[in-house]
Amino acid sequence: MKHALSLIALVAAMPAFAEDTRQLDAHEHGVGALNIAIEGTTVAMEFHAPGADIVGFEYAAESDADLAAIEAAVATLAAPLDLFALPDAAACTVTTAQAELESEEDHDEDDAEHAEEAGHTEFHAAYMLTCDNPEALTTISFPYFESFPNAQEVEVQIITASGAQAFEVERDAPVLNMGR
Amino acid sequence: MIFRLAIASLFARTLTVSMTVLAIALSVALFLGVEKVRTGAKASFADTISGTDLIVGARSGSVQLLLYSVFRIGNATNNVTWESYQDIAARPDVEWIVPISLGDSHRQFRVMGTTPAFFAHYKYRQGRALAVADGVIMDDLFDTVIGADVAATLGYSVDDPIVVAHGLASFTEHKDQPFRVSGILEKTGTPVDRTVIVSLEAIEAIHVDWQSGAQIPGQSTPVDVIRQMDLTPKAVTAALVGVESPLQTFALQRAINEYRQEPLLAILPGVALQELWGIVGIAETALLAVSAMVVVTALIGMMATIFSSLNERRREMAIFRAMGARPATILGMLVLEAMVMAAVGALFGLLFLYLGLIIAQPILDSAFGLWLPIDAPTLREFWVILAVICAGAIVSLVPALRAYRMSVADGMMVKT
Repeated sequence: MKHALSLIALVAAMPAFAEDTRQLDAHEHGVGALNIAIEGTTVAMEFHAPGADIVGFEYAAESDADLAAIEAAVATLAAPLDLFALPDAAACTVTTAQAELESEEDHDEDDAEHAEEAGHTEFHAAYMLTCDNPEALTTISFPYFESFPNAQEVEVQIITASGAQAFEVERDAPVLNMGR
Repeated sequence: MIFRLAIASLFARTLTVSMTVLAIALSVALFLGVEKVRTGAKASFADTISGTDLIVGARSGSVQLLLYSVFRIGNATNNVTWESYQDIAARPDVEWIVPISLGDSHRQFRVMGTTPAFFAHYKYRQGRALAVADGVIMDDLFDTVIGADVAATLGYSVDDPIVVAHGLASFTEHKDQPFRVSGILEKTGTPVDRTVIVSLEAIEAIHVDWQSGAQIPGQSTPVDVIRQMDLTPKAVTAALVGVESPLQTFALQRAINEYRQEPLLAILPGVALQELWGIVGIAETALLAVSAMVVVTALIGMMATIFSSLNERRREMAIFRAMGARPATILGMLVLEAMVMAAVGALFGLLFLYLGLIIAQPILDSAFGLWLPIDAPTLREFWVILAVICAGAIVSLVPALRAYRMSVADGMMVKT
């Protein structure tokens, strides 16, 4: 019996051990991140932006208006070429596109205490594109800033066959020149 | 007509004019030279590592990880445990992974433990691989491959025995282990030149008789016994990773950055290099600004000589006016003279630059690993020369306008 009890105690203590590593991603309002990888004619893009940039709030949406705003934002984010415009000459078409809202609570949902705190939310999107003429991918313009007035800056990382490069695109100059 | 007069007038004052031209030539050569060094330094900096998709190390900053893993500057905050390394290596999207173990030194050079795969995957200057100048890549536990600078500074040749010291700038040396030089690498212009490369197991072997940083007194494991031991490392300092497809790079980077068991950091070398250049690049701008100031100084020097020549040429100007030259002609002639001086100076500057490049290129390459390509002058150089000529014209306007106003009255009056 005693052994059984200590076993139960041990098992009960397990989740505490499992939760021992604590980490949280950096989260900066106004700044989104766009990663682009190009291989042959395939272009993979992923985009992250704080909820504040996209819908203007980061609390859990409850009112109809807030829910509708999130739904509209997700729909907008699912159309990448309207946000990050690629040159027509590159002849890009979207193969897959998905967008979602992720809150920090998603990581540890069973932790009821956290739900009360003001958590941050992030919109994530992933796109796969096919560009018939990838050589023409020299510039990207960002109508994104028109769609989302709270967004100020996007940090862009691009991986091509020649290596990785980083750029910062700001609202004032919403065009990225890849310089290749 | 004015042009002939201007040229003849310049030839009449060969000494002063040639000094002015020399000053402009030197300043232009300096400016263009700084520009060359700047772009050359930036290119060879960016060429330090290529072909590697991710660098993995303990979670710190991307610049710091790049500094210690590639440039061997500074130290790691933490190591990466062998288990985590194995975990990453086993991922399907990892095409190749090369471990790096740092922390020991040989004289002033860092010792790096790695696997033979390093020689296959480490690339510099747009995909150039490391090549052995003499000897072979290590194949024994106690073999070392040394960089070109190490060999040159310490006068080592293949088969020389070397002693690897524990920790940097430490006085205790690992005298027990008889390492030998098995190969010397060709000069690369990268930090590899200043590195002693041993196998990962050798790093473990060095520390067999060591505990908490000190040698256990009286204990010295014979070399044969060490060879029998299990020398699997417990940790590595960093790892270079190549991915199967560039499309997977970001996913792998995120997976490593969010690795739960250990705080790890994966960086894109190109992006980190860019970030680092953003920091050191301020110095380059300062250098360029200083050399631009030198050009300005030379032009102001030219203005001063024109001013003083006005005094000598009072009679000349007066005679021109008396012969029917309009004030505008006098002004035009002076400006034209200045432009000719600036143009000749700038062209000589270009000539000096190329002479200097031809002389300095091999010296810079062997001393600093800085490769300055000798290309035909670009549009950029053309613009610089044009700018110098225009600036010369503008600067000469000041004395020319003075001559424009004064030429008759001044020259006709008998002063001397």
